[in-house]
Amino acid sequence: MRKSVMFVLAVAVVLLAGFGAAAQDEKVLVIGHTEQTDFYDPANGFTGTTSMVRRATYDTLVTFPDEDASEILPSIGASWAISDDGLSYTFTLDDSFRFNNGDSVTADDVVFSIQRLKYVNGNPSFLAAGIDSIVANDDGTVTFTLPEVRPTFVTELANTAFSITNAEVVRANGGTDGMDAAETDGAAEYLNQNSAGTGPYQLESWAPQDETVLVRNPNYPGEAPYFDRILIVNIPEAATQKAALESGQIDIATDLSPDQIAELEGNPDVNIWRGPGQWNHFLIMNADPEIGGPVSDPKVWLAVRLALDYEGYLQLWPGSVTPGSVMNYFLAGAFQEDRAMSRDLDRSRALLAEAGYPDGFDIDLKYPDWNAFGIDMNINAQKVQADLAEVGINVNLAPGEFSIALEEYRLGNAGFGYWLWGPDINDPVDVLAFVPGGKVATERLRFTEERAPAEILELRDAVKKESDPMRRAELFEQIQVWLQESGNFAPFLYPPTQTALGTDIVGYNWHPQWVMDVAIISRDEM
Amino acid sequence: MPLQVFFLRRVLLTIPLLIGITLVSFVIANAVPSDPVSANIPQNAFDNEEIIAAFRAKWGLDKPPHEQYLTYLGNLLRGDLGTSIKTSKPVLEDIRQFLPATIELASFGILIGMALGIGTGIVAAVWRNSIADYLTRSYVVIGVSFPIFVLALIGLNLLHVQWGIVAGPGRLDFIIRDPPNVTGLFMVDAALAGQWDKFANAFSHIILPAFVLGSYVAGIIARITRSSMLEVLGMDYIRTARSHGLRERRVVIRHALSNAMIPIVTVIGLSTANLMTGAVLIESIFAWPGIGRYAFRAATSQDFPAIMGVSILIASIYVMVNFLVDILYYFLDPRIRVA
Repeated sequence: MRKSVMFVLAVAVVLLAGFGAAAQDEKVLVIGHTEQTDFYDPANGFTGTTSMVRRATYDTLVTFPDEDASEILPSIGASWAISDDGLSYTFTLDDSFRFNNGDSVTADDVVFSIQRLKYVNGNPSFLAAGIDSIVANDDGTVTFTLPEVRPTFVTELANTAFSITNAEVVRANGGTDGMDAAETDGAAEYLNQNSAGTGPYQLESWAPQDETVLVRNPNYPGEAPYFDRILIVNIPEAATQKAALESGQIDIATDLSPDQIAELEGNPDVNIWRGPGQWNHFLIMNADPEIGGPVSDPKVWLAVRLALDYEGYLQLWPGSVTPGSVMNYFLAGAFQEDRAMSRDLDRSRALLAEAGYPDGFDIDLKYPDWNAFGIDMNINAQKVQADLAEVGINVNLAPGEFSIALEEYRLGNAGFGYWLWGPDINDPVDVLAFVPGGKVATERLRFTEERAPAEILELRDAVKKESDPMRRAELFEQIQVWLQESGNFAPFLYPPTQTALGTDIVGYNWHPQWVMDVAIISRDEM
Repeated sequence: MPLQVFFLRRVLLTIPLLIGITLVSFVIANAVPSDPVSANIPQNAFDNEEIIAAFRAKWGLDKPPHEQYLTYLGNLLRGDLGTSIKTSKPVLEDIRQFLPATIELASFGILIGMALGIGTGIVAAVWRNSIADYLTRSYVVIGVSFPIFVLALIGLNLLHVQWGIVAGPGRLDFIIRDPPNVTGLFMVDAALAGQWDKFANAFSHIILPAFVLGSYVAGIIARITRSSMLEVLGMDYIRTARSHGLRERRVVIRHALSNAMIPIVTVIGLSTANLMTGAVLIESIFAWPGIGRYAFRAATSQDFPAIMGVSILIASIYVMVNFLVDILYYFLDPRIRVA
């Protein structure tokens, strides 16, 4: 008996001593991340994780700078020309790009990739819905034709969903760009496990909800990236990401909550990257009196905006800013904190009285019971409840399961609610979703064009067609002023993006389009 | 009753049970007032009718529910559980990917639970009202009522982050590649391939989550073992055995424990099934890519094929474990053989 106990102990000691002995020569970056991947196939996937992997494995016709989305840079499309009527865009391709199997990029690859995106009816296909046609003029140029003038078109092409894939390889694996691609395309399975792109890395494997592995693209003509191998490990629990980072098992933790970040502040082995985030938090108010009740009144909209204690939310979520408008903070021309609303309870009460609610009213606040990228929406909802109580609005919190709440919001049946928004197009035009006629204002909140004053509709129509940057900026300024005075949204919080990384990690930068570019990250070996 | 008849009867009884389970899970999954479209399609594609129609057609959501159910049953008979919306892989393949991790963890958990639970239960019963008994009883209360995720987080922060005694989240250190896949059980696969460094690493990763799981189960097993043993130890035949001058160890193990085993086996069976299917929290906290986490993700994204597949799997595990427990009864309790 005693001997066997000793034996077991001896084995255990040997085993424990052995762990960690597995040395690795290759340079590996380990990212702890809450995987959201739907597909890695560029034509089917549309999530943050997908974008991150597409950025590393593919290229697009045009792109953004490494740091932000402030300008459009050439990529596979070396240059482009716009026809006089503004409907045709001709791109000249850069012939230095090579796919991971060594093939050059041709106009056929570009046409195939865009048409496949358009016709496969995958999650990002809506992005290509506004393209009438794309044709290859010769091996080195392609021409897009649009149904109407759209100055944001080139910006839209920087979305990684427009990644250029190797047509021959994708076709050989069941892909098609035919109009019946929604039924006949079968390449998603291949492209979920392999990449067929020009990026510095290629996809080696994906075990869904477990791990994604990238390795260097052997045929990449540019400077080879630092890491041999990138591991994107699914760690859905933020507390676990934090523990794994502290013990050095992972290099980057992407999903820590603000209080976890605060706990890491003094850790000498951890750096915190901070920058403007992606998500604007706001209250929504339905313009249909049957659904919204008291919150369908434009005077109440302004009263609610004036009643919120903006400073209080900043104290709840350190590092956040108060949004200047419902246009996302980092978009060109977006109102910054200096132009944000400030609290004015007297004016708020006066507006409520004018609207016929001198003693306030009772209302349900509908929102998802959800931790939105580290921000517990319940906490903000409680703060909203307390803020509005000061002007007599008695808010009853009505959180719902995420997909059920989303459904109600999406169908326009939520009266008073709390949601958030990250832009789909990194252009100020994204704010038009919140203007009458736009997706959020009209579909979800019934602020239809019939209910809207003519001035905002004119502004909207003008800005859609305007290509002069100065004039565009002026129009967006006016639109934001109008939204502050008359919109049916109350933006109140813009949390920062905070990423925790090992102190030896260099070059990390959060990006609004592709989360992070793993190819520009390296390890300080000193 | 001969063993064969007993066996056959139990097997036949499981068939209507499994069909009933498919029906119940289908009805529940369909009754949820939310739409898989909103859970699986980006918000901006909502107003694109073509994308939504293609999504519905692809997953058969455009057909009436009874037709969906019959198609599902038909496919099931051919061994086809459908394709997961979320991973876009066959559900069967997903289960094959995620189940071994859970089996490995749950097996360790139940082993630890049994060792701790039966051991402390016997000690508490034999030395009733001693310090050991009081300690065991306190442990039972704490073990059962202490939130398992708190224990997991404390364990992770102390044993892994602070003291570095055990490895952290995941089945292996993330930079270590999986051993060649034979069974999907990393320790077994690593041993088969002779990769002892990976075996050790896998062991170091599994020990903490398995201990957390096991400590919860141990509480339940200890309680049942103690009360069952107390009952048996008061029986006449135990007094007879002692009066024959048998050594106390033999009395306790051979005469008392073997007769006290029936309720213990029942609770171990239930705990095993419970661990196999209910380790969602532990799997999340330890980034353990198991079936519990898969099931949770399937439920929150309205991934019908995956929800159905996991429901059937979970039900089958319960049925199988109960079946095994029944077979064990047959051997443990002679009375069942004549009933």
